[in-house]
Amino acid sequence: MEKCKIIFYPWKKEVTVPSGTDLLTAAIRAGVNIYNSCGGEGVCGRCKVIVRKGEVITEPTGRLSAKEKKKGYVLACRTTCKGRMEIEVPPESRLEGLEILTEEAKAKRLVGLYTPAEEVEKGPEVALERVFTHGPLSTKLYLEPSPPTLEDNVGDLERVYREIRKGREIPIMQMGLANIKKLSKLLRDSSWKVTATLGNRNETTEVVLIEPGDTTNKNYGVAVDVGTTTIVAYLVNLRERQVLGAKACYNPQVDFGEDVISRIIFAQEKDRLEKLHHVVIDAINNLILGMVMEHNLTLNDINGVACAGNTTMIHLLLRVPPEYLRKEPYVSTAGFMPVIRAAEVGIKINPRGLLCCIPGVSSYVGGDITAGVLASGLDDLSTPGLFIDLGTNGEVVLGNKDWLVCCSTSAGPCFEGGGIKWGIRAMKGAIQRVEINPSKDKVNLCTIGKGKPKGICGAGLVDCVAELMKSGRLNRAGKLISESSKRIREGEDGWEFLLVESKKSLVDQDIVITETDIKNLIHSKGAIYSGTEVLLKRVGLSFQDLEQVFVAGGLGTALDVEKAIMIGLLPDLPPEKFTFIGNSAIAGTRMCLLSHEAMRKAEKIAGKMTYVDLSTEPEFMNNYTASLFLPHTDINLFPSVKKLIG
Amino acid sequence: MEKATEKWASKVNQLIIGATQKEGGTRNSVIKVGGATTLPFLHFEGVIPNSPVIAMEVWDMEPPDWPAVLKEPFGDVLGDPVEWAKKCVNEYGADFLCLRLASTHPDTKNNSPEEAATTVKKVLEVVSVPLMIIGCNQAEKDTEVIPAVSEAARGENCLVGIAVEANYKTITAACQSDGHSIIAESPIDINLAKQLNILISDMSFPPEKIIMHPATGALGYGLEYTYSIMERSRLAALQGDKMMSMPMVNFVGQEVWRAKEAKASEQEVPEWGPIASRGPLWEVTTAVSYLQAGADILVMCHPKAIDSVKKVIEELMKKE
Repeated sequence: MEKCKIIFYPWKKEVTVPSGTDLLTAAIRAGVNIYNSCGGEGVCGRCKVIVRKGEVITEPTGRLSAKEKKKGYVLACRTTCKGRMEIEVPPESRLEGLEILTEEAKAKRLVGLYTPAEEVEKGPEVALERVFTHGPLSTKLYLEPSPPTLEDNVGDLERVYREIRKGREIPIMQMGLANIKKLSKLLRDSSWKVTATLGNRNETTEVVLIEPGDTTNKNYGVAVDVGTTTIVAYLVNLRERQVLGAKACYNPQVDFGEDVISRIIFAQEKDRLEKLHHVVIDAINNLILGMVMEHNLTLNDINGVACAGNTTMIHLLLRVPPEYLRKEPYVSTAGFMPVIRAAEVGIKINPRGLLCCIPGVSSYVGGDITAGVLASGLDDLSTPGLFIDLGTNGEVVLGNKDWLVCCSTSAGPCFEGGGIKWGIRAMKGAIQRVEINPSKDKVNLCTIGKGKPKGICGAGLVDCVAELMKSGRLNRAGKLISESSKRIREGEDGWEFLLVESKKSLVDQDIVITETDIKNLIHSKGAIYSGTEVLLKRVGLSFQDLEQVFVAGGLGTALDVEKAIMIGLLPDLPPEKFTFIGNSAIAGTRMCLLSHEAMRKAEKIAGKMTYVDLSTEPEFMNNYTASLFLPHTDINLFPSVKKLIG
Repeated sequence: MEKATEKWASKVNQLIIGATQKEGGTRNSVIKVGGATTLPFLHFEGVIPNSPVIAMEVWDMEPPDWPAVLKEPFGDVLGDPVEWAKKCVNEYGADFLCLRLASTHPDTKNNSPEEAATTVKKVLEVVSVPLMIIGCNQAEKDTEVIPAVSEAARGENCLVGIAVEANYKTITAACQSDGHSIIAESPIDINLAKQLNILISDMSFPPEKIIMHPATGALGYGLEYTYSIMERSRLAALQGDKMMSMPMVNFVGQEVWRAKEAKASEQEVPEWGPIASRGPLWEVTTAVSYLQAGADILVMCHPKAIDSVKKVIEELMKKE
């Protein structure tokens, strides 16, 4: 076969590929990372490169301006090579990792992100107390098996099994060879007084650990929600079913790409997969260690970890190559991951402790959504309800006890404070309520924990934009109306609205909302709303058919539903139909950590959910552009807002 | 057999361009567009009170990229907007002109707003047909130029533009205070078009004085995209969407005379036929397609093409 040699500038990296290979593939082979978020489908238009020399065959695309075409720009994924050629990768198309990312570029990408582990608010849980039989991932049993005699001479292992099975129905039980080797001596040294830790490994019960004496009061687990942007962990007392502490940090994988697709591309090379895997494991270990130390525990007291995350996050967590997730027909390596030993992936808890992952639905709807649905109780409703997760992927689930359909809308990280100039997570000091007094041009704020503000969380951002709109300071396209307020000024990032003067903020700087922040929010809310519209249409329902809407997400301890409707994030339904359930992924994961029954239910939910791929729904793009307006291009969809703004 | 006809709930806005002495201007005639209660030329279904119109392009400088075949009919008036305008009206029978202030573009002569205003005044003096005035299509520069020329044409009820999302505020304010209508342009998207209409109307500008430009693609250069967007816009208007009920304009000449099919010489591509008729034909075909899509105003360049399209419009407007 004919070969062609391609040189990629500015690095002068060379690669030889068969003629007819597309430039994106060739670039990956050359170790050049080009931005691309549609997986080489020619849709996203981000993989622009310039043909300096050589002949190419390129498909026509609407993603390049006439000016760019004139300059020799082509889309790498839609262009195949022919003979020797030289390609320049312009800065905007370079996907650069940690080693090449300048400090400045990094700081820009991490605006509002990347703070060390911090306490987070646990969020509302009132609606989330579904009753499941207590049966945690790890159970501790104190045993006093009778010592063997000539009459009762079964082996030590069988003797332990017999003691465990007293009054318990456990069909399949196992113990590893490492434990068996130590068993006889341990039983005798501890005078037949031992504690067995039982782990649920799917249908099998494993005696994970045998310890001398009674340690049943030291049985803890950790529930983790591995989000694209944020990682949240709860320390749970498995015996008392109590949440002892909560911590969160930003997902350090953000360094290697903001969204799952760029991380999948980054992970295509082996050592980079390793890197992504390591940073997330490190982050989880830090969260666990921090909580363990604060509660005077040891890592040995942690016997199980339950994790929920989108499919890509779980692949990376377990160091499973995620490559095929982004390639047609978009399948995962596994949706239902087996329960494994946490140590196998490097999670530092009791060396024998287990790790279970909540099962996912598809490549783009993961276990975090299964857990969220489980926590909300959507799958128990008799009339149709909606579950909306206001996270980076913005998943939406529609259904009831008989059926469930879902989609992923790629909303972006702004609900978690990502990409927002002063955005922070829902933690102490985050502005959560904003009120604007139009006649006095004054702003009243309320922060989580009531202290001085240090940033704004998702709920505060929604509030702020709604208030700006209501007070006539923002037009419907999301542009600030400069003459409407003295607080609107031109800052270093363009037009901005002054929320807090530096002397009143915790950070000694003015806290502002920029037009770019507002634009990001509009894009996110538009994706959620239009995704929901398409999903409803797909099953022949309308918003009016919905009896209940669960709104999930780590955007605050509360969300003002009316303001969310005002900006067009949530459909215009009576407020009583909405329930804000906070971080439902972690709530559901905690349920699974505490109850085998809940885990079985999660498996059922994942098994029966149908995934709708929005990228194949022709209407989605049209609905999406229509929704990029406040509240929407078609104001008649928001009668209550129409009344308010005239 | 019964004819299957559609009964629409609403109609396209009607708009008048130009002001006679009675209305406070100095024009001898006015142009009426819009008002249709049905899709283009379906006379059996509804009323089409006004015929689509053609505005003939006049530049305030010699167009740098026009091919000889397009320059030829204008001869030596190309550098002189006043003579050019006169020629269009007197020789080619234009009843509506589009004055393009290309010289204000930073990449051409970067002429000042005052110079542009002077040109507008002069053109208004020498011709008495209604006028469309557009800037140089650079959003930033247009925000300086349009207020000045709008004021210079005060009371003449011109059609002024082009307002895009980046500069609509200034242009709307200018049109508002000087009594002109406005052209609102958005990039081939029905939602973006509506959004811009809403933004302009939200500044208390009367929606009936807005004309939409959904962007124009020449034949072979994306015409079908614009076509379908225009068709959908027209359907939205007829179904009663007040923010989509504006008449539409297409800049046909501007796009066609950039296409290589209109410009390439006979030596380059002998199989394409004589250049003298190729360009005008390309312009005619593009224009006629947009008429079918619902265009109310066509901005065109070549006199031969304009003649042919006028005849087509005449035929299409016959009720029998």
